Amino acid sequence: MSSLVITRILAPVTRRALRHILIQNSKAGIQNYAKTLHIVTTNQKRFYAEKKIFERNKPHCNVGTIGHVDHGKTTLTAAITKVLADQKLAKARGYADIDNAPEEKARGITINVAHIEYQTENRHYGHTDCPGHADYIKNMITGTAQMDGAILVVAATDGVMPQTREHLLLARQIGVKDIVIFINKVDTADKEMIELVEMEIRELLTEMGFDGDNVPIITGSALCALEGKEPEIGRDAILKLLAAVDEHIPTPVRDLDKPFLLPVEHTYSIPGRGTVVTGRLERGILKKGHECEFVGYNKVLKSTVTGVEMFHQILEEAHAGDQLGALVRGVKRDDIKRGMIMAKPGTVKSYDHLESQVYVLNKEEGGRSKPFTSYVQLQMFCRTWDCPVQVIVPDKEMVMPGEDSKLILKMIRPMVLEQGQRFTLRDGTVTLGTGVVTKVLPSLTEEERIALTEGKKAREKKAKAAQ
Amino acid sequence: MQIYKLIVFTMLKNFQLVVRNWCRNFYTSHTNLASEKSALAVLRKKTGYTFANCKKALEMHNNNLEKAEEWLKQQAQALGWSKAIKLEGRQTTQGLIGVSVDNDKGVLVEINCETDFVARNAEFQNMVKGATQTCLNYLKSGPSSTHLITKIGLNSEQLKSLKCDDGKTLADKLVLMIGSVGENATLKRAIGIKVNNGIHLAGYAHPSGTSENNILLGRIGGIVAIRNLNEENPQLDEIATGLCQHVVGMAPKSIDKVDENLTSSQEDETSLVHQEYLLDDTMTVKELLDSNQIEVVDFQRLECGEVINTLGEQTLDYVENQKMISY
Repeated sequence: MSSLVITRILAPVTRRALRHILIQNSKAGIQNYAKTLHIVTTNQKRFYAEKKIFERNKPHCNVGTIGHVDHGKTTLTAAITKVLADQKLAKARGYADIDNAPEEKARGITINVAHIEYQTENRHYGHTDCPGHADYIKNMITGTAQMDGAILVVAATDGVMPQTREHLLLARQIGVKDIVIFINKVDTADKEMIELVEMEIRELLTEMGFDGDNVPIITGSALCALEGKEPEIGRDAILKLLAAVDEHIPTPVRDLDKPFLLPVEHTYSIPGRGTVVTGRLERGILKKGHECEFVGYNKVLKSTVTGVEMFHQILEEAHAGDQLGALVRGVKRDDIKRGMIMAKPGTVKSYDHLESQVYVLNKEEGGRSKPFTSYVQLQMFCRTWDCPVQVIVPDKEMVMPGEDSKLILKMIRPMVLEQGQRFTLRDGTVTLGTGVVTKVLPSLTEEERIALTEGKKAREKKAKAAQ
Repeated sequence: MQIYKLIVFTMLKNFQLVVRNWCRNFYTSHTNLASEKSALAVLRKKTGYTFANCKKALEMHNNNLEKAEEWLKQQAQALGWSKAIKLEGRQTTQGLIGVSVDNDKGVLVEINCETDFVARNAEFQNMVKGATQTCLNYLKSGPSSTHLITKIGLNSEQLKSLKCDDGKTLADKLVLMIGSVGENATLKRAIGIKVNNGIHLAGYAHPSGTSENNILLGRIGGIVAIRNLNEENPQLDEIATGLCQHVVGMAPKSIDKVDENLTSSQEDETSLVHQEYLLDDTMTVKELLDSNQIEVVDFQRLECGEVINTLGEQTLDYVENQKMISY
């Protein structure tokens, strides 16, 4: 009670009194007061001036470097930033800044990764470098910087190493189809060696299922570029490499340019108007009059959008990222459920069987402490829907917390999915892992779907009968 | 059988390469330069040594392929050593555990490398397999003891001096591998277990990859020693492997010591018999053991790179102590 009195009654009184004293009595006081005010405002200004505003005037593309630890991945990255910094297109980064790939937390998962940004005349780039296979996989799963292409670095002095095979396997595993090769350290090799290294790389790429004959190969020395020596194998080679990356690695399609898709969050029935669905437009552009399709829970319903609203105002054109409500014609509120997907007709399909790459969180990251084996029942959360799934571990007998693994997921009902879709797996109240769909598999037969709900005993009995 | 297939395959492949290079020679042999070029290519293909070294070998022997190859093979060991010395001190946190069990003897061997790319490479895996076999042979050659269980710990230095079948030491083999993959690698530690009087051993490695000659490779490895109290137990092998998988997966700290500090939460249980059985969470390990009349006598678990995370010296001391106790 007493504190209330102080705050409510005494505080305004004292404040008024103070102002009174300041104005009436002390000129110096006012000046001092003004001075402090001045300092405060300049400080604030400086704070804002430190951060540059990102200019979105070029398409964005994510690339990464892969290769042996001693072949100069980091030197190359440093050299790229230096060469581009000379053209005012990047901030030069030293070797040491990049080398110690810091531990980053993305979606609660610890990844060792270095992210660098730079731009060429044509595009803006995010550049990823990780020390190990597992880190690239985690980077792919969290999707912080999905690699659209890769630069494979090979030293001319060593040629292809035994583990280059593993590097290329990784590239394929994380969905990188476009590779540009940089043959490094040509300052310490001669011409025939370089030619042979090139031949060898093309051969290996073809063997690993890449287009080995047409992959651009650039030769140069990242060290020369970094030290500003011998421009023809230094700076010029880096520029040639960037031109090859610009040309060879395609720009990913922006979400805005894709056909529209809206995961349904809620449905409402508005008397006199009809059914309204709400949600966040994930991609594309939505306008009044668009044909649409609701997919999910074994249903496909066709309809037309007759109005789009945001904040109770009519929206002429909704863009990806907008939280909106859409009035749809000819469907009842009860026909549509949360978790369905409203999309351009024919662009999405439901699946109930998929292959995925999943990172299983360890206990420190909030996951569970026990490993799991095949046939475990989990809840899969994706967009606005969730669904029970049965997990099959194809390559090993169990999956430990803190590991990434390929998992086959069988859902009890088909829902809208696609390659590259991210999702979370939960076990009761614990988030078990997060993953990305790598492949959709043929739908389950009725028999297989019934088998999903069977217990262990029935499964064993069946296995015995089959023998 | 598979090995023969592999040999025939590699021979064919080499032959194919030689023919291809020879054909290329045929087209361009009018210039001297071209023939030199293919000599370098042939040498590189044949030996797999770095271009820089192949080139040096050819220069030293006037482009004589056979002599250059011979020289390279002689130098390989020295080159490997120089590379190994250069890379020494770089941290090795990845790698593999080799597990092998042969009746009454079992070994766990840890070899580390720098990146998991190399740990996935066939060359490194062969190295671990070789080292595991060597350790098993060493265990077999040792004196037999009448103890129920004998544990032998080998540290890095002891491992290095072990001799393989071909007379080379493991250290020599390791540096050859270092020379080839260009990454630092270390022979970390090994633990051997010998048992007597009808005690069974079972091994397991996770992730369970390929097994060859009874050697399993993985990031985590484990061996359990069990006593079978029921003479006829048709599922013994299956249960023993399951128990070993449980040890690898659940990382128990003791067999049946009850930790007073712990709360009653099942999640944190560290003694083996009180844990929920990994492969069937409707029962505890104790219930599984009782129903099958089995007793777990001992277990050993190695996780790759775990020493780095804890105190470096401790684990080896621990192993050494165990060795003292057993003799």
